[in-house]
Amino acid sequence: MILPVYAKINLETGKWEKYPISQELFSKYLGGKSLGARLLTDLTKPGLDCFDPEAVLIVNTGPMNGTGAPSSGRFNMTFKNVLTGGIASSNCGGTFGMLLKKAGFDGLIITGKASELSKIIIEDGEIRIEKCPELAGLNTEEVQEKLPKRYGKLVIGPAGENLVRYALAASGERVAGRCGAGAVMGSKNLKAIIAFGTKNVEKYNPEGFAKHTKKWVDALKKHPMTGSGLPKYGSAGLLSKANASSALPTHNFSKGQYEHAHDISGETLAETKLVRNGGCVSCPIRCERRVKVDGKEVKGPEYETLCLFGSNIDSNDLDLINQINYDADVLGMDTISLGGTIAFAMELQEKGLADFGLKFGCVEDLRKAISDIAYRRGKAGELAEGSKRLSEKYGGKEFAIHSKGLELAAYEPRRSTGMGLGYATSNRGGCHLNGGYLALMESVGVVSMDAQTPKGKPELTVFFQNAMEACSAAGFCLFTMQAIVPPLIFKFGSASFISRAFGKALLLARPVLGKVWNLMPWILPVNMMLMPHSESIKLATGIPMTMGKFVTVGERGYNTERLYNLREGLTCEDDSLPDRLTKVQQDPKRKDTVVDLKTMLPVYYKVRGWDSKGVPTAKRLKKLGIPVPERKEG
Amino acid sequence: MAYRINDLCIGCTLCARNCPVGAVTGAVKQKHKIEEKRCVECSVCANVCAKGAIEKPDGTAAEKLPKDKWRKPVINTARCSACSMCVIACGFSCLEISYPTKPGDLNVFAVLVKPEKCVGCSLCEQACPLGAITMKEGGAK
Repeated sequence: MILPVYAKINLETGKWEKYPISQELFSKYLGGKSLGARLLTDLTKPGLDCFDPEAVLIVNTGPMNGTGAPSSGRFNMTFKNVLTGGIASSNCGGTFGMLLKKAGFDGLIITGKASELSKIIIEDGEIRIEKCPELAGLNTEEVQEKLPKRYGKLVIGPAGENLVRYALAASGERVAGRCGAGAVMGSKNLKAIIAFGTKNVEKYNPEGFAKHTKKWVDALKKHPMTGSGLPKYGSAGLLSKANASSALPTHNFSKGQYEHAHDISGETLAETKLVRNGGCVSCPIRCERRVKVDGKEVKGPEYETLCLFGSNIDSNDLDLINQINYDADVLGMDTISLGGTIAFAMELQEKGLADFGLKFGCVEDLRKAISDIAYRRGKAGELAEGSKRLSEKYGGKEFAIHSKGLELAAYEPRRSTGMGLGYATSNRGGCHLNGGYLALMESVGVVSMDAQTPKGKPELTVFFQNAMEACSAAGFCLFTMQAIVPPLIFKFGSASFISRAFGKALLLARPVLGKVWNLMPWILPVNMMLMPHSESIKLATGIPMTMGKFVTVGERGYNTERLYNLREGLTCEDDSLPDRLTKVQQDPKRKDTVVDLKTMLPVYYKVRGWDSKGVPTAKRLKKLGIPVPERKEG
Repeated sequence: MAYRINDLCIGCTLCARNCPVGAVTGAVKQKHKIEEKRCVECSVCANVCAKGAIEKPDGTAAEKLPKDKWRKPVINTARCSACSMCVIACGFSCLEISYPTKPGDLNVFAVLVKPEKCVGCSLCEQACPLGAITMKEGGAK
């Protein structure tokens, strides 16, 4: 078995040392967000503020990064969530992860606060910290131009330096957007981390691995979603279907359809603005949009950005969305939280509760407001705190669209109730990916599952949350999992009998599924081509991985994250959504167009093996091999 | 293990300029040094050195290789998935992913756009997860 090498770096003393990761820890958590959650729990005192100098920032890869396995270019950042106070994990497809590994490290554990703006330089197994006052104030693009060309880079922009709560960290044009990774770097006076090395990522069984990789790439290339849909339209391709399913957040999640949806759709983007598609390193799917902004080819918007800076603020200006997407990336802010907070501010204005100079449909001054947020200037600068904190100050909690403090991604949960449950239970807050992403089967994808019923949703949510957690922990992109949907369904389309039957079958299997998940890892002691991840991990690392064990890694990670959240003071009360989504029917004529959390949550807790308060039971934790935390008295 | 530079070095900087991973350091007219941790044993330094100052990891002297004998990547475009592993591996930005020939064309692949800058280190070949790159003398014919 090839064990990962981690380094613990103290920015205050400028010293670093290797941090050993045991074989047991590696086999149990793999890496990425799951191992990140374990390390963050073990290395920090409870109740530490996210900006405390002692707070820990973990930047790590998974065992698959740099191996050349398909879509394995994703690295992770774990830290205390700046928006929620719970766990934060932020995933990025930049080259930093691969080059960090080539430089001899699988992960970095960063503590302390530098006395001046600094950068960490990692070269050929050595680490040093240098002061860099000359980089102060530069945007993510400018700062990367000033750093050595071939290095993997991870940098922050002005928003990170100014501690905007949803500031991002950028690697090339790819970003670790969610949860405020940039703000945590900013709080440590850390402007950049750069890495270069020439070490090849070793594989346990190189021949077997190469063979398996070829087979897997061929399967992805042939699959209608990963081989054609995503490269052609990117995630933006989901927008038309979301609108047709009334699941396209519009006017701050008050409606599910937008009359000008076509203007901001993936199809329109592809026909009128797309220069070509691009991709993260090591990815054959290549879903990235490349568009022109001011004559320069840059990264185009994802579905979430199109919606949150389009329908959700009543704007159909596609050029402006491309521009804002670029502005937010270089200033260094997450477009989901930024877009969600702006829509909330617009509704505050509409309802006369506060005026930040932002109005639905009026986008002329939006770019200036976004710049003001990044620099925390003027009235709009208050938006840097995010929608939860704004709602505590100005009111409007019922329409502040967040869960635990993290703004929801662009899937209207009243038309995909399983996604609603996912948002509410997601450990990092209102995130679709950490939430199980059932929207893909309920409302925006090709599978036609009953989007309104609460039945069967908890069981499926648990499975996908676990599987996606494991996928991330290994260093894979979650889009590799889209190839699970049988290609036949794409052939006949979402309205077909076969698509509906597939969706129905998944829901009807509920009693079986609930039991099956409990019997992992023994129930799936094999590796299947349907989910080739486990076999790939086995060949690359030598860990005797099976599909069941793989999903169990995810469950272990998910429970570890949950325990961290509980330790930091979050409770089952925080597994919630704003009243607009749980109490106000999206369609006044249809009673089922609300998210029925009351029905789903108890089932979800039960399937997870948690008690009625959402606390993992000692029995389940022991089964998963997670240390049982001491219970507080009373 | 790594290549080494012996006392025959005159500090002409050729090896440093051609090393694809920046493993060679040294001032003009002074003996150069190869950073052991960085060296990938691609033998490019030996291929360019006219003084025979480069020693192989086993201690034997390496000989200069005429430029027309250098191997260059030949890309199997049908096999290539445009994953960019080779593009990132290249130290001289010789490789790029091709532009689509028409809007919506997904058939793109790695292309050797600057063959004149290619030093024949074969890092791209090693980086390709699909075995779509083969190094051939003189490159694609």
